[in-house]
Amino acid sequence: MSASSLKRTQLLKIATSLVKTHGFTREALARSVLYLPNQKHVESKQDNEDCQPLSDTAVSSLFGFGDAARTTLIHAWLDEGINHMSNSSQPARNVSDVLHTRLDWNEPVLGYLPEAFALLSTPNPSWLSLQFDPLPALKHAHRIADEAAYLSMDTSRELAWYARRISLAGIYSAAELHQLTSPSTAHSFLDSLLTGSSSLEQKLGDVMLYSDYVYKSWKGILKSRGML
Amino acid sequence: MSLLCSGAIRQSATRKWASRTFIRCTSSYSDRDQKTTSFGFKTIPAHEKESMVKNVFDSVASNYDLMNDAMSLGVHRLWKDEFVSSLKPGRRGPMRCIDVAGGTGDIALRLLDFAREKYADRETSVEVVDINAQMLKEGHRRFKQTMYHNTPQVSFHEANAQELPVEKFIDNSYDLYTIAFGIRNCTSIPDVLKEAYRVLKPGATFACLEFNKVTNPLLGPIYDQYSFSVIPLLGTLLTGDRASYQYLVESIRKFPSQPEFAQMIRDAGFVTGKDIDGAAWNNLWGGVACIHTGVKV
Repeated sequence: MSASSLKRTQLLKIATSLVKTHGFTREALARSVLYLPNQKHVESKQDNEDCQPLSDTAVSSLFGFGDAARTTLIHAWLDEGINHMSNSSQPARNVSDVLHTRLDWNEPVLGYLPEAFALLSTPNPSWLSLQFDPLPALKHAHRIADEAAYLSMDTSRELAWYARRISLAGIYSAAELHQLTSPSTAHSFLDSLLTGSSSLEQKLGDVMLYSDYVYKSWKGILKSRGML
Repeated sequence: MSLLCSGAIRQSATRKWASRTFIRCTSSYSDRDQKTTSFGFKTIPAHEKESMVKNVFDSVASNYDLMNDAMSLGVHRLWKDEFVSSLKPGRRGPMRCIDVAGGTGDIALRLLDFAREKYADRETSVEVVDINAQMLKEGHRRFKQTMYHNTPQVSFHEANAQELPVEKFIDNSYDLYTIAFGIRNCTSIPDVLKEAYRVLKPGATFACLEFNKVTNPLLGPIYDQYSFSVIPLLGTLLTGDRASYQYLVESIRKFPSQPEFAQMIRDAGFVTGKDIDGAAWNNLWGGVACIHTGVKV
């Protein structure tokens, strides 16, 4: 990675730490430069004339115009959330601890999250007839579910692998939505969902097993009739 | 049309001399063993490029707008508007700008007008720098028709973009550096970028508007045909100077591609966005023109 890319990544990382005070805004990106280590901005903090956030033009140049810069910041913050799950985990933690850790990551910025998620769900280009793009939300839930399963040393295979992740994605999405409206009960809600999910998982596994059986049966029938 | 003809006649002596000098320079190249650079599709000794480019612009200075209109069918005005509006001068208070290779003042005027109209900013200033005295003279003449004439908001300086005088263009002193349709005419682009980095303040922006590689596969052949057939012909018809227009068209093809130029900007020390359209650069009209930006961090 070149020095230029490293600096951009550094600025983005610093900006994610400013989200709790400035929100997912261009202001957070602009102020990130003030906290770069070993920079003139920090060295000359005594002299207010030299200590300036990045200009709007500079933010646009580095991170994108208008809301594109905010979207970049939101994605960077979500990536940091994934790293937070990994860094906080110990070997062989259970999935409940990992998901609780991820919910903790949301707490300092809960007030800004609804707008951030709404921004991610805005379809691009906006002239499309779609009012809402569900893909970012699904990707977000899937990433967390996948990381949680990996960190909890999940050993599922084949269809069970997918079932596990779909289940965890659904649980986490529900818990996160609950957290936006009732932060104090979010963790207990997550626990109740995880408890209930084990039976759901079993049912899903049964459905998939039955589907597999039906598929193989039909395959055998078609082969015996010479159609395959 | 009669004005164009009289203008053509008035400039004929200069153009003929420029053409002869152009031919002489290319034929004497083989006798030298020196560092070389491109002058359009021709390879010439590096030390000759400056004077040859100067001759081209001496020749086209008085008809510069006509040249740009011919090359871009008038669209260059829209590109320059887009360039300046993307920079938003004056949004966060007065800025000290430097517009290099901006002799005729197109960009400088747009910067000042934008700051004034959008943000009621009458303190933003632009220093117009050009190596060509004729182009600066043209710019000065144009600014006399505006409210900025004889104000501290605009000033004109004759200087080489590759070697800005240190005493006049101090380190870390500008908030915005712009160069529009000029960097491809410089002998050493890295030197220009190095000087840009030097004079910009930390946190300031470098912005370059330039003709570039057309990425659209349908538009590319049409653009090539127009460039190599129509533009030199227009140069001959409108100003009687085919060689200068031929150089201008060839110089566009020799300019680095969008990712290559973005890398050169990073090599000079700037930080840019990702190497994709819409980040480190922004293609206009499929890449016919392109805005590259970088930030000194």
